[in-house]
Amino acid sequence: MYILKNSIRNVTRNAGRNILIGMIVLVIAISSCIALSIKQSASQLQTTGLSKIEITGSISVDRQALMSQAQDSGTDMRALMQESESLTLAEMQNYATSVNVKDFYYTLSSSMSKGTGLEPVSTDAVTTAATTQTQPTAPTESEESNKAISPSGMGTQGDFTLTGYSGENAMTSFISGTNQVTSGQLFSFDTADMTCLISEELATFNGLSLGSTIQLTNPNATTEVTTLTVGGIYKTTTATADSGAMRFSTAADPANQIYTGYNTLNAISGQSLSVATLGTDTSGNQTTTALRTQESGIYTFSDMTAYENFKTDVTAMGLPSSYTVTSTDVTNYENSLLPLENLNTFATIFLVLVLLIGGSILVVLNILSMRERKYEIGVLTAIGMKKKHVVFQFIAEGFIVTLIAILLGTGIGAAVSVPTANALLSQQVASIQTQEESQQSNFGRGGSSSGGRPGEQATVNYVQSISSATDITVVMQLIGIGILLTLLSSCGAMVFILRYDPLNILSNRS
Amino acid sequence: MSVLKLENLSYTYQGAPIKVLDHLNYEFENGKIYCIMGKSGAGKTTLLSLLSGLTTPTDGKIFFKDQDISQINKYNYRSQMVGVIFQGYNLLPHLTAAENVQLSMDISEKIFPDKVRHGFAALAKVELGEEKATRRILKLSGGEQQRVAIARALSYDPEIILADEPTGNLDGETQEGIITIFKKLAHEENKCVIIVTHSPEVAKAADVLYELTPVS
Ligand SMILES: Nc1ncnc2c1ncn2[C@@H]1O[C@H](COP(=O)(O)OP(=O)(O)OP(=O)(O)O)[C@@H](O)[C@H]1O
Ligand SMILES: [Mg+2]
Repeated sequence: MYILKNSIRNVTRNAGRNILIGMIVLVIAISSCIALSIKQSASQLQTTGLSKIEITGSISVDRQALMSQAQDSGTDMRALMQESESLTLAEMQNYATSVNVKDFYYTLSSSMSKGTGLEPVSTDAVTTAATTQTQPTAPTESEESNKAISPSGMGTQGDFTLTGYSGENAMTSFISGTNQVTSGQLFSFDTADMTCLISEELATFNGLSLGSTIQLTNPNATTEVTTLTVGGIYKTTTATADSGAMRFSTAADPANQIYTGYNTLNAISGQSLSVATLGTDTSGNQTTTALRTQESGIYTFSDMTAYENFKTDVTAMGLPSSYTVTSTDVTNYENSLLPLENLNTFATIFLVLVLLIGGSILVVLNILSMRERKYEIGVLTAIGMKKKHVVFQFIAEGFIVTLIAILLGTGIGAAVSVPTANALLSQQVASIQTQEESQQSNFGRGGSSSGGRPGEQATVNYVQSISSATDITVVMQLIGIGILLTLLSSCGAMVFILRYDPLNILSNRS
Repeated sequence: MSVLKLENLSYTYQGAPIKVLDHLNYEFENGKIYCIMGKSGAGKTTLLSLLSGLTTPTDGKIFFKDQDISQINKYNYRSQMVGVIFQGYNLLPHLTAAENVQLSMDISEKIFPDKVRHGFAALAKVELGEEKATRRILKLSGGEQQRVAIARALSYDPEIILADEPTGNLDGETQEGIITIFKKLAHEENKCVIIVTHSPEVAKAADVLYELTPVS
């Protein structure tokens, strides 16, 4: 078609004008390529990142839902909390029958006090906070300070946290390598063998070795003594990682974690329940001296879809709305994307600005070039070229210039987008971390814990870099932008050509 | 039968106070050379732009083979039926002479066995060889440009030739050559050739002479 041939010829014959337009499109293309690449990798990481990892989740009371329920119905939040107790093991096991659950395991945990010959490792939190490293020091006032009532209604807080596992796969801290058995062996999962794992620190502190026995007591009834055999000793790396962080209680200290089998702790709890004395406190609530225990179940899912399906499954299976399925994996992952998400927002704003400014410049340039090309339009229409063909030819010229610039820009953009995006990303990560740290120190908490419950390690591993950014989607988007820009900037030309009176050519004899 | 016919044609430029053309009743036939003469500003160019459909009469009508020109597609009419040699040439400066000629052939959408050769042949007729034909317009002299404009108007074989002072920039000898071409077109190829001219030599070749007087 001769019109297209004309366009191509015109582009090469008017290099000066087209290079100017091309340069502007090139700048737009490179900027847009970087912005689009950031957006693309952000959305990709969001959708594909979670599908690759195995997800663990649990069912817990939905405090948020309870809160709004309390507000709506005017009932007491505490009463509602009491009503919606944690799920029982049987209930949790029932939900585990969902086909979407890959594996289910559970733990039982309880806070226990020291017995004869056993002292908890303690940190003088107040004086050493944020400056000194965690060191086992002599117990001071532990009796008093540890008798504080825990806010979660666990009864009296003890010195140790005793956790009973249903199986090896439940011991996530050992699987992840945070804890390592250094001597001895694991307790039995099948029977209540009254054997436990203690930390190296606790062993050294109390002069305990494999085969030693330790005595723990029920914090609600100190006469109830439980004797456990030290079957193994483990090393934990949590303490150093947490150094400087203020301890919420001695029982939360990683050194004071004692691990055993589910059956063992269950037996201890059953025994305690059988000898418990019931009473009534001053406000008329029922009290019991039975050892408080908390069961928690952990579901594993092979992927994100299974996790999402499980959420609908449990509702269908009758899980009340006051409970919710949560996953720290998912939450952590979502948090890890925060810098990228921020960058994504910036990229969007940047993209819009680039397109607005670039588009305006192109429109103006096109209008200016139309004035310059009046004569050409006049000649073409005077010798009988239909106006729609002239318009087509001019738009085609715009497309050729834009397309070349877009292709060049995509090439350059693809080369620089990864390093640029990563540089911006690391800045973003740094600024988020600084912000967090200052927030932490404003609240008197040192360290890098992200404001979770004290003692709980919650540092988020932010996505620090992206690898490949410019893909076919980005290229298609860029071509789309090119088409849009060409059409937009050609609008002026179109109106100009369509309104041009060929008679003017006769009065235009320059 | 007349190929072009004016019926009480009057024309006033938009916004201008007076008429340029007033009740003209000319007739143009195939196989003849018409010369239109008149003082500068008499309205000769205006008449040609009306005949080529670049503008429409203020009053009266123009018929192309008994068809009111205002009823037909002006673009097809201009690109196929008439060949206009503009007073200011109106060539595209970023193209070569040959490309200018070929562009008009392309726009006419007429079929030529060999477009490129046909274009060069049209230029050769006005004594422009291949070397000059492949030069950009601005690298040609005024007379050469004028001949390119003539070649372009003839290249797509239109039925009517409208020429606005086609020999204004040419020496006597070259002018003779052009006159010969016009004669051949009218008398051998049965075209209708309408020439606006101040040149007595050209006027001598005319079969019919119209004298335009400015409207007073
Ligand atoms: N676009 C225009 N608007 C208003 N008046 C015009 C326009 N073009 C031409 N005229 C006027 O119309 C009259 C006729 O102009 P035209 O160009 O037809 O003259 P001409 O006979 O071709 O003269 P010349 O021999 O000098 O080429 C002139 O008086 C001119 O000033
Ligand atoms: Mg004139």
